Amino acid sequence: MFGYVLPSRDRLTEADKQRFRAVYCGLCRALGERYGLAARFILNYDFTFLAVLLWDGGDVEADHRRCIAHPLSGRDCFPGNEALALAADCSVILSWWQLQDALADPGKGKARYRAAALALQNAYERARERRPGFDGSTRAQLERLRALEEARCSSMDESADTFAVLLSGIAGEVADPVKRRVLEQLLYHLGRWIYLVDAADDLAEDFASGSYNPLLERFALEEGRLTEEAREGLVLSLDSSIRLMAAAYELWDFGAWSNVIRSVVYEGLFCVGRAVLEGTFHAAGGLRAPGGRNEEPL
Amino acid sequence: MTDPYEVLNIPPTASDDEVKKAYRDLARKYHPDNYHDNPLADLAQEKMKEINAAYDTIQRQRGAKGSSSGSAYGYGSTAQQRSYYGGYQQQYQQHAGSSAFQRVRMAINQGNLAAAEQMLGQMDDHNGEWNFLKGTICYRRGWMDEARQYYQTACQMDPSNAEYRQALNFMENGQSGYRPQGYEVFSTGCGQDNMCGRALCAYLMCNLCSCGGMRFFWC
Repeated sequence: MFGYVLPSRDRLTEADKQRFRAVYCGLCRALGERYGLAARFILNYDFTFLAVLLWDGGDVEADHRRCIAHPLSGRDCFPGNEALALAADCSVILSWWQLQDALADPGKGKARYRAAALALQNAYERARERRPGFDGSTRAQLERLRALEEARCSSMDESADTFAVLLSGIAGEVADPVKRRVLEQLLYHLGRWIYLVDAADDLAEDFASGSYNPLLERFALEEGRLTEEAREGLVLSLDSSIRLMAAAYELWDFGAWSNVIRSVVYEGLFCVGRAVLEGTFHAAGGLRAPGGRNEEPL
Repeated sequence: MTDPYEVLNIPPTASDDEVKKAYRDLARKYHPDNYHDNPLADLAQEKMKEINAAYDTIQRQRGAKGSSSGSAYGYGSTAQQRSYYGGYQQQYQQHAGSSAFQRVRMAINQGNLAAAEQMLGQMDDHNGEWNFLKGTICYRRGWMDEARQYYQTACQMDPSNAEYRQALNFMENGQSGYRPQGYEVFSTGCGQDNMCGRALCAYLMCNLCSCGGMRFFWC
């Protein structure tokens, strides 16, 4: 996962922003407490959103803490709970298998992935013990994806299905049967959307290097860019997935997180997808203002 | 029974107009059109029943002034709601040209997509109906790109068929879907800069924090 899932800032109240910051820091803390310092480096917004979706029950009091990133000022931070633990475990497993996947890809520089894998090894082994089911399904889906890549699968739905099924598997850890069904659907389309947006983001690079990209197999290109018709087809597919996420969201009461999730599924994802298609979204820095100035922090 | 005002998320002191408005908003949210061929349609239907029951209860308690307000907005009373869902299934069956396609439709209605797909796989004549049903299976699975392609083929083969056309339109013009108050129609592709220029929560809180490390690994 790559940090594409962002709420729309203007839609959030001050309280929402504080909560979102506190869950971000809470996930970082859960990663640190469960897996040590190295695991904190896998933190990103997509995993944070996952913790938000998994959140169970009412509000908990955030406490103010200093940490390695904020040694002086400190930050409000949610203490550990089941949602943060689950999000942390799944993040570690997912990051580990993505690293393995990158290491297996002949096209990429290996040294930094190897270093990262080494740093994450112990954390991964502990996470696998805690969530053997999710570890198994992640591995299976990424193997399936690798086979599809080798076969140069031209169905973007089928390739995206691997990551979608993988994410929706996390819902299996949720106890409430209705929430589980809602999350299965929501996470399926979230995974599908992330996979396709990431493919769109990598399009130019993959076109140049000849790496597999489902959009290159599926659509016609002109001068390394999607044709207008291809773009329209991709947009429809992305929009449909976002709408199905919103429809699923409405069927469960996410309590204090409702506003944050709403701002993601009714606005944020559309905007990120649009920025990616226009080439103005940079994974390294999220959205940038037209002049190249980074958006100010929340 | 649950408090009908709680279901509609309004205080018992709400005016008749406020009750009506709350009911309309919720009915629009859970309207069957928004859950067309959605695997969670049954949950939406449950919600709709609760809302209708709550509205009917409040109307009864308040002596239902004026017209029969329950069905005044077309989202309707429980009976109407039921007929909508029932009507949908009937439509499925009526349109079935042969008993084989009828069995496929029934399997889809029961959510047994694997069986439906297997039956389609055994057919040689890939006509409009075949493509439409294939598209419906894809749509249910969330395979939107293939669903659209099958729907398009179905429409090309049988341009006069309203059901196929409706399914394709629903995919291509999903703006009819519900949006919360204050949210505009969004599309990944639209050119409405004023809205999409809205700042996202990028660089949310800590540039120094771990996120930078992750980016280094992956990007």
